[in-house]
Amino acid sequence: MKNRQPLFHVVKRESGSPGRQILAYVAAVALALVVGAVLLAVQGVEPLTFYKQMLTMGIPGSRYPWRAVENFIKLFVPLLIVSLALALAFKMRFWNIGGEGQFIMGAFWAGVAAMNLGESLPRPAMVLVMAVAGALGGGVYGLFVAALKVRFGTNETLLTLMLNYIALYFLQFFAETKADWNFFLDPESARPKFAKFPASAQMITIPIGPFNLNLSLVIALALCALIFAYLNYTKRGYEIAVVGDSPNTARYAGMKVGKIVLRTIFISAALIGMAGAFHVSSAGVMSASPTNDVGWTGIVVAWLAKLNTVGILVAAVLITVLQFGCQTASATYPAIDANFANLLQGVILFIVLAADFFTRFKLVRRGGKEAVK
Amino acid sequence: MKKILALALAAAMSLSLAACGGGNGGNNPGGSSANNPGSASQPGTDVSTPVDSKSDFKVGAVYITSQNDTAGYTFQHHNGITTAMKALGLDPADLIVVDNVPDNDDTAVATAIDTVVNQGADIVFGISFGYINAMNDKAAEYSDVIFSHGTGYMANDTNFNNYFGRIYQARYLAGIAAGLKAKELGNNNIGYVAAYNTEYAETCSGINAFALGAQSANPDVKVYVNKINTWGDETLERQAAQALIDTYNCGVISQHCDSAQPQLVAQENGAFGCGYNSDMTEQAPNGHITAAIWHWNVYYQTAIQAAMDCNGDASKFVENMGGNAYYAGLAEGFVDASPVNEKTAAPDTKAVMDAVRELIVSGDWDVFSGVKLSYTVTDGKVEITKTNADLVDNAGNVIVAAGGPSVDDGVIKGSMNYNVAGVVEG
Repeated sequence: MKNRQPLFHVVKRESGSPGRQILAYVAAVALALVVGAVLLAVQGVEPLTFYKQMLTMGIPGSRYPWRAVENFIKLFVPLLIVSLALALAFKMRFWNIGGEGQFIMGAFWAGVAAMNLGESLPRPAMVLVMAVAGALGGGVYGLFVAALKVRFGTNETLLTLMLNYIALYFLQFFAETKADWNFFLDPESARPKFAKFPASAQMITIPIGPFNLNLSLVIALALCALIFAYLNYTKRGYEIAVVGDSPNTARYAGMKVGKIVLRTIFISAALIGMAGAFHVSSAGVMSASPTNDVGWTGIVVAWLAKLNTVGILVAAVLITVLQFGCQTASATYPAIDANFANLLQGVILFIVLAADFFTRFKLVRRGGKEAVK
Repeated sequence: MKKILALALAAAMSLSLAACGGGNGGNNPGGSSANNPGSASQPGTDVSTPVDSKSDFKVGAVYITSQNDTAGYTFQHHNGITTAMKALGLDPADLIVVDNVPDNDDTAVATAIDTVVNQGADIVFGISFGYINAMNDKAAEYSDVIFSHGTGYMANDTNFNNYFGRIYQARYLAGIAAGLKAKELGNNNIGYVAAYNTEYAETCSGINAFALGAQSANPDVKVYVNKINTWGDETLERQAAQALIDTYNCGVISQHCDSAQPQLVAQENGAFGCGYNSDMTEQAPNGHITAAIWHWNVYYQTAIQAAMDCNGDASKFVENMGGNAYYAGLAEGFVDASPVNEKTAAPDTKAVMDAVRELIVSGDWDVFSGVKLSYTVTDGKVEITKTNADLVDNAGNVIVAAGGPSVDDGVIKGSMNYNVAGVVEG
């Protein structure tokens, strides 16, 4: 045995045609659903009924269908904005896994604005102020890491990860500390509890019959279009792509790489912070754990979509249907608790990601080299 | 789960982007034809949607942990609700539940309530204190649905109440068992592992009632409180109990926290203890004496019955319940001390506890009053002596003057923030 080799090599496939890619995704989802069906059947649940309820999110035949749609939107908007924002950073190969922390900081500063200015400003101005406060709060939190990376070459993966926990406990400190200075809490309650925002700090909704369209959905969809244009049709968007491909090339071409990194990360983190602001504004109250894990799920969405803006829109819709649908469907089955619903989501995501991997890479056996030209 | 997936994905992506620069494999056409197992048919015996039971009344609940738990807070409530449903002829399989709902995120709670309501629930129980904002909002929004919130204080006059129990009465009984045991052991130091102390009325009222019960049986006892600042953490609960034994040589350990760890620690050290929530004699047969326990099904049965009696008019619920804050105790069987473990209890423990239980149930006396109890036992016959004495906190302030009536329920539920004399926070 002269040259020992691992049993398998991971080798990149030459080119995956988009059709083939989509076919693989569809097959993966189907496979995942079959695996899920087996798990459901083991629990004594009729899989087809469960899936039907999951995919329709229990909306048909429910008592207040419009409310379910509103809740869907409340879950969907933060995920969409965060995924878009993360994709901006990932395009530049800046591994921002600090979405959770930036989201919390955005929510926090929006809450500070709401609790202190809410009485004095009219609603549109207040919602705008909260969005700006959230964007600045999240943006600065991200910019801090970008600055350290540009200046000292620190590892942004580690820093953004650790800052998530700092943000989380920072917020929990305000959630659980009953004191006169703590303007977040309800003075009437003996136990620490967040007070509701003043009415002017509640997100604007557009009534369509009994249904209230959350303005943040409109903004999120507009952001989709803006970011698509920014990345594909502007000089700055092009700079992001170049820096992502090769910082040296960018430098050689006369681009100021540091400045581009700082600018892009600020935009990315600011968007995430703004999503946090929209979230608390839609809820009308602060929360000690506001994120619903979007900082993590957003990473999955961004990569599932290959950082493509349209793809992110589609993937965010699908993941939200999966999340919200699982909750709705499992509500009526005693055997199915939230843990099982999470497991099911995990199985589906895992198989789809595996399919994604195998359409882009393949395993070549040791000694199989001859087969390859 | 999602977090791990996301991290693994991010790692895999960055690695593969970095490493596979020169990967040059031949083109491999369609080797892995994606076989689509579309119609893998499940044995389709019959497409069974949940069967409608006799009554079409639907019960819903929002839980803080999983409905499939086998111990702990959610388990106690789930067990109470399903027991009550069975007693009322409803099928527990029809219970509509959203579980694992964090109690610090109002959006998540509101969404969970919407889901339960949308699936047809006529009454929604929320079991965690932090659901309070969302329960209140949704009660106003859905006037045709009944809302009932455990441990909270908000309510309205129609379709929204709150519920909790006089668990302090049960703790007084457990305190008697602890005091008698301390006397038997000749060791006046009793330990108490507490989630919190004076931060919450719920915790300090429990500590105080337990201490008063222990003092009634043995005036010399001191109750050493070791708080862990969380409602449940098995490791911390264990360490706190061990510290009480090591530091103060406590011979009896009581607790206000989720698991049976303090009782196990007591047993391992040859000490004794009084548990909480469920009869922990099961876990520590050679240490545990008696526990303050809840019979949640007592409330749930009352509430579901009252809700069914509304006949579709949810606004009559509070009237049917006789008020918007249910606060029952020993008299209603909502709380109690679990059966005394004769193997560990001091002599006559059961007799004294039974006598005091009878006294409290009669309504003639309550724990936080200016009347102290003491006992003499002759031939198994218990005589209770009542003595007027100030109820004093451990800073020396008089809470209730000698002979005065018990403090208001509002104090016990909400504003109590002191420890009675004889309690030491260690």
